[in-house]
Amino acid sequence: MSFPIPDLVPAIPEMFVLAMACTILVVDLFLKDDRRDVTYGLTQFTLFGALVLTWIVHVPEARVTFSGSFIADPLSDTLKSFIYVIAAGVFLYSRPYLKERGLFKGEYYVLGLFAVLGMLVMVSAYSFVTLYLGLELLSLCLYALVAFDRDSGRASEAAMKYFILGALASGMLLYGMSFLYGLSGSLEIPVVAEYLIANAGQFSVPLTFALVFVVVGLAFKLGAVPFHMWVPDVYHGAPTPVTLLIGSAPKIAGFAIIMRLLADGLGAMHADWQGMLVLLAVLSLAVGNLIAIAQTNIKRMLAYSTISHVGFLLLGILAGTQEGYAAALFYTVTYAIMAMGGFGMIILLSRQGFEAENLDDFKGLNERNPWLAFMMLLLMFSMAGVPPTVGFYAKLMVLQAVVQIGMTWLAVYAVIFSIVGAFYYLRVVKLMYFDKPADEPLPVRGLDVTVVMSVNGLLMVVLGIFPGILMSIAALAVGP
Amino acid sequence: MSFQLAMFYIFSAILVGAAAAMITVRNPVHAALCLVLAFFTSAALWIMMEAEFLGIVLVLVYVGAVMVLFLFVVMMLDVNIARLREGFIRFLPVGALVAAAMAVVMIMVVGARHFRIEPPAPAATDVGNTEMLGRLIYTEYVYPFELAAVILLVAIVAAITLTLRRRPGTRHIDPAEQVKVKREDRIRIVKMEAEKK
Amino acid sequence: MITLSHYLVLGAILFSLSVAGVFLNRKNAIVLLMCVELMLLAVNMNFIAFSHYSGDPAGQVFVFFILTVAAAEAAIGLAILVLLFRNRRTINVQDLDEMKG
Repeated sequence: MSFPIPDLVPAIPEMFVLAMACTILVVDLFLKDDRRDVTYGLTQFTLFGALVLTWIVHVPEARVTFSGSFIADPLSDTLKSFIYVIAAGVFLYSRPYLKERGLFKGEYYVLGLFAVLGMLVMVSAYSFVTLYLGLELLSLCLYALVAFDRDSGRASEAAMKYFILGALASGMLLYGMSFLYGLSGSLEIPVVAEYLIANAGQFSVPLTFALVFVVVGLAFKLGAVPFHMWVPDVYHGAPTPVTLLIGSAPKIAGFAIIMRLLADGLGAMHADWQGMLVLLAVLSLAVGNLIAIAQTNIKRMLAYSTISHVGFLLLGILAGTQEGYAAALFYTVTYAIMAMGGFGMIILLSRQGFEAENLDDFKGLNERNPWLAFMMLLLMFSMAGVPPTVGFYAKLMVLQAVVQIGMTWLAVYAVIFSIVGAFYYLRVVKLMYFDKPADEPLPVRGLDVTVVMSVNGLLMVVLGIFPGILMSIAALAVGP
Repeated sequence: MSFQLAMFYIFSAILVGAAAAMITVRNPVHAALCLVLAFFTSAALWIMMEAEFLGIVLVLVYVGAVMVLFLFVVMMLDVNIARLREGFIRFLPVGALVAAAMAVVMIMVVGARHFRIEPPAPAATDVGNTEMLGRLIYTEYVYPFELAAVILLVAIVAAITLTLRRRPGTRHIDPAEQVKVKREDRIRIVKMEAEKK
Repeated sequence: MITLSHYLVLGAILFSLSVAGVFLNRKNAIVLLMCVELMLLAVNMNFIAFSHYSGDPAGQVFVFFILTVAAAEAAIGLAILVLLFRNRRTINVQDLDEMKG
């Protein structure tokens, strides 16, 4: 039998990340503890190299290779670039935290890189097999990273909850996929899409049944209400650098699988999944914003805020139009950058023995460090959606897409809960600017972290004043 | 009733019984053994569906490795069974109800109305099931195959990272140190004046 | 004669049992891990049945990968369980209520 060698060029970034992750795994073995920065440097080099390689091999047309299980198109290359950049920021913020707590080990970076690889695979997945494998590669790394601080009971507890619920979600997703496979006769997403288009208007009961399982599995993974129970515990229990990792880049990968699975694969069933997503979004917006108000721990507060942001992301998707998808992409990327800044700030203010994760720890930050307080202000304004920050435009685009499909009530509902949500973001600002500081001295941070935090905060305003850049990228990625 | 159908019902009955026992027995060791039985009967059913390779893999990998790992962990951890059972009775009615409702709905969906498909003719024997899977895995599915390898690597790295710990207090022998030892490290010759009586 | 729906009904029963298991044993982490394995068994049963009755081997290949991933998953799950037991001396998930809110 003859077998044509598949076109390997589109997968070069993935291969590079894999090869480098394996190299780092081995190199790290021979490093003494005080030379661990080499591992960190290699990791950042890997992400930078992968970013460059992605755009070297980029072509404007979609390319499918490996017998239809891999796709490289503008959407995948755009999302991958954001993943690299955000992962690099995550690693940068994490370094001082890990060093201070004796967690500065190669495994964090190796598992982190494998998680990035999992996200890349998800973004480029074009069949159920690769989609599932990418998702599991990401999830397995994250389960292990949550429990990474081995002496913390809280972290292992969070890891156990995350693991059980994550595994159940995978099971649900797979059960749904098994019916899609059985009915369409193929695991490849475009073939399933063709089958659905050919049968449009007369979907059988099992097909809807499969759709329910797929949507429930995805909702679990994204943390949409009522499948959100793991989010606060995991965000709270995990070491802050891992919370930072979980809360930022994987959301982009999550957006990618929704695009591949629901928009590309099950696009013909849009009318059926739209209703389910409306329900998830309505619940997520309400529960996320209302419970966040009651939180005193800022990691838990940001966890509930994540849930409400997932609601917004779903609003963009459920519109089902190109504008809606572009708005959802815009929102996801914006959210990932905001979350990176928010959790990064918690890391910046914490030190050995003091986690800076209570809201009270932000009291009077303005007196202690006005610049950091201003950055946090920008991040909180952006999360709340205050103009002229980018968070405002992200919300605006999503709402426009929802209004365009005639669901004005949903847009009004979302606006109401955004206003409710603004309350707890602004409370942080109030604590920073109008409350008396505790006597905790602020830790001194390196130049790199401060510079990146400044860029991160200022980006909120720059992108807010010039949203056109990101908008055109989003529109290009989603396609005509 | 044909022989095959009879076999199907026998195996299914054992499988469902084992699964039901697994979720209700008191002792986690018994639960693990019930799961082993469930895997064995599933393997038999898979072989009836001409998936010989997967049936054998299920027995070798699942029963042979994964379930042994489970048993090992259950026995290694000194688990207080009585405490784990608290609330079981309380959850039982709700759990049973949920399972029954779910099963009824699902059976209505997957029942004979939509999936009354006759079994295909037995496959031609010139290419065996294992050979067919092997050909596919190393050609069409080479990318997922590599990814599966990466996932196994991650599992190794993660499991070692999480559980390997060097305890500072434990005593152990380092042979290299022992071999390198010189006379001077062990004895010190002290010259002393002889004491006078 | 065994039709496709025979196997699918079996898969559905196994799936429901695994969900019930999660409900009943929500305190016992190790049985929860076993319930996850049972759920994957139900999924695999479905895939093999569909694969056999449509004469398409792709489903069997997917099962091969699911088995691989599930084995890796079990290893990591048990590692987390061991870690949890070391830190808390219990695998009782409801004793784990340090985090509230």
